[in-house]
Amino acid sequence: MRLSKHTLTRLEGEVKLKLFWSAGKVKDAYVAVPHFRGFERILVDRPLLDATVITPRVCGICGHAHLRATVEAIEDAFKRGGYNTLLTNKAKLMRDITLMLEIIQNHIKWFYLYLMPDIVRLDPKLEDKFTPVKGSRWREGLRASNYATKALATLAGQWPHNSYIVPGGVTSDPTDSDIVSVESLVNRIIEFFKNYVVNLDIDSYLGLKGKEILDVVGGDLGDFFKVCRDRGLDSIGKSYKRFLTGGYIEPCVMNGVKTKRTCKFDIARVYEADAYSFFSANGKGYSWAKAARYNGMPFETGPIARQVISKNPRVTSLFKVLEDSVLVRVFARVDEILTLSLSILEKLKKIDLSEDSWIESGIDMDKFSGAGVGVVEAARGTLIHKLAVEGGRIKSYDIITPTVWNLGPRDDVYLGVVEKALIGLDSEPFAYIVLRSFDVCSVCTSH
Amino acid sequence: MSARKQTLVWLQGLTCCGNTQSFLCAEDHLMDEFLDKVEILYHPLLNDEEDPEYIISDILKTNKKIGVFVLEGAVNLNDKLADDIKKLCILSDYVIALGNCAVHGNIPALKDTNVVGLQYRRTTKGGLLGADFKTRSGYPVINISGCPAHPEWFISTVLSIVSGKLPALDKFGRPKEFYAYSSHDGCIRNQYYEWRVEAEVLGRKEGCLFYRFGCRGPMTGASCNRKLWNGISSKQRSGQPCFGCTEFDFPRENMWRTKYNMGVPAELPPGVSLRGYIMASGILKTFTPNRLKKRLFDEAE
Ligand code: SF4
Repeated sequence: MRLSKHTLTRLEGEVKLKLFWSAGKVKDAYVAVPHFRGFERILVDRPLLDATVITPRVCGICGHAHLRATVEAIEDAFKRGGYNTLLTNKAKLMRDITLMLEIIQNHIKWFYLYLMPDIVRLDPKLEDKFTPVKGSRWREGLRASNYATKALATLAGQWPHNSYIVPGGVTSDPTDSDIVSVESLVNRIIEFFKNYVVNLDIDSYLGLKGKEILDVVGGDLGDFFKVCRDRGLDSIGKSYKRFLTGGYIEPCVMNGVKTKRTCKFDIARVYEADAYSFFSANGKGYSWAKAARYNGMPFETGPIARQVISKNPRVTSLFKVLEDSVLVRVFARVDEILTLSLSILEKLKKIDLSEDSWIESGIDMDKFSGAGVGVVEAARGTLIHKLAVEGGRIKSYDIITPTVWNLGPRDDVYLGVVEKALIGLDSEPFAYIVLRSFDVCSVCTSH
Repeated sequence: MSARKQTLVWLQGLTCCGNTQSFLCAEDHLMDEFLDKVEILYHPLLNDEEDPEYIISDILKTNKKIGVFVLEGAVNLNDKLADDIKKLCILSDYVIALGNCAVHGNIPALKDTNVVGLQYRRTTKGGLLGADFKTRSGYPVINISGCPAHPEWFISTVLSIVSGKLPALDKFGRPKEFYAYSSHDGCIRNQYYEWRVEAEVLGRKEGCLFYRFGCRGPMTGASCNRKLWNGISSKQRSGQPCFGCTEFDFPRENMWRTKYNMGVPAELPPGVSLRGYIMASGILKTFTPNRLKKRLFDEAE
């Protein structure tokens, strides 16, 4: 068997890919994350609230989701300890809005800056548009992603790396003009989606279903669809078709676990296997990532999981015909740019600025002991933080990132989700694209 | 007219990629200017090669000269990457450590003594390159600290180098242009600070965060309230204390709380004497303008 080794960049961090070939096809695949920083260890012994400053630094592109997971884990610990955290509607809405803005900026950047430069290799006619730095659309994509980061900073002070979500609410106290500014920026994203991404008016786009989507959508997503159909990306990259979404963003992201049917997500069924990570001493380790399992099985998380579970009509209808192929996985992510933007506009209308942003808990932080879990949806899927605290100091901290679900290594029974999707491919560029369709973030994976 | 572009190589060590993300948030005119004037030979996210490792190994093999070398992320001394980074620094006219991890190791260095920044490990000078390192052009490492660093601090520094105006550095190797200011300069809560009006709760426009919530603004070199974040805001403007993330002792302990000794903040801004602080406090508290004691949007009587 021939072995080929690859380093993949143009993603958050770096991923090593080992492919074993036989008769021109991928027979086995190993995905490994080479770097390790040790966040969980660093948090131990620190005062509890310090986690709200440190965990965003796990990841430069989804740090805001880490912040929210930390705060929800703390609030969960308070609740189990008998102190219910009161959150005003205003604080809840703002938390959702900034989380969604982070997801949106990620998806725009991912499509234009990370994915399309790989697609250019399959169709050089697209070079003028999508070559990094020089491409016209590369530049437009970057510009549009910053409508989202600017809107996020309007409410949260800065992006990346703010700590504006705190147990009991949020720190900022926006004014009417701030809300107007956020709204105008979100409208620019929707405008961008209409003019560049799909080249179709929004109402027509929203009404599309199934294969019709591939025929009608124009713009940059249309360019992508065309390459997919010419080169067969609508049939490769399939994995387990088992989806998991732990977080909940009313009304556009429902949580649940989908195999044949969709069931409730139950955090007690989640566990991490480390037999093939460097954390175990058995010598089989090949990655700094652990493997996340639900009911003992690997599950895919991320936009495709979220949108199928949430019954998004466009994504579900296309999933019915083309399953969890590269095409559908990419489509689900791109569709979220619009779906989430529209939901933000609704939420902005509901904010009552006269409400408090923060309600003090009255808990003595130096004495508090307890344990809690926070589950949120990040750009790449379900993010889980678990912590235990004793006498105000963190006793243990455990993070399961979305990419651990998708990119984590195998166990003795199952391949990792991405590894499974790579088996049977017949070329290296396809392997890159399949891997990239999961929106890989190596810094989160190993933290 | 197309002048020859300055070449730039950007590598990542142990990082969250936050400085790349912060860089990508630069205002349009700065990003356009940067991409016009700088030829990026390598950046892990902006590269266009199928085999990115080749570019770096080629530079190392041929001893190709580099204009500006940028490191994002900390260095693990046991990693092979450490040697490559050293060599790249020697091949470069200017070396920039971008963000706290590259500057002093930051969070990854907290519990691992093998993890360092380019010329510091936490507060101690030395790091990967040693305390006396100078580049080919005779310049020390330019430290653009911050977790992350503000995109304008970085882009402006590179553009200054491109135009031949070398930045004046402070004693930590940071451009004075940005780090001579404190993050308290330009904070919209300054009046509350002056009159000792504390923010009693979070989530409000009013009050200074120095007195209860641990704001490090006056003790932190950074232009966060002069060059706003994402062109629009800052931590303090959105109700968060400054956590001192441009300093070499970041992250400190108990970052949301001000420590007190006998009723006085345990740490006072540079140059403020304990006696002066106590004497002034009495007077300031007696004469605080009424406006500062009320909610900002309430009508004055
Ligand atoms: S909040 Fe911080 S930066 Fe702002 S005035 Fe008070 S001490 Fe200064």
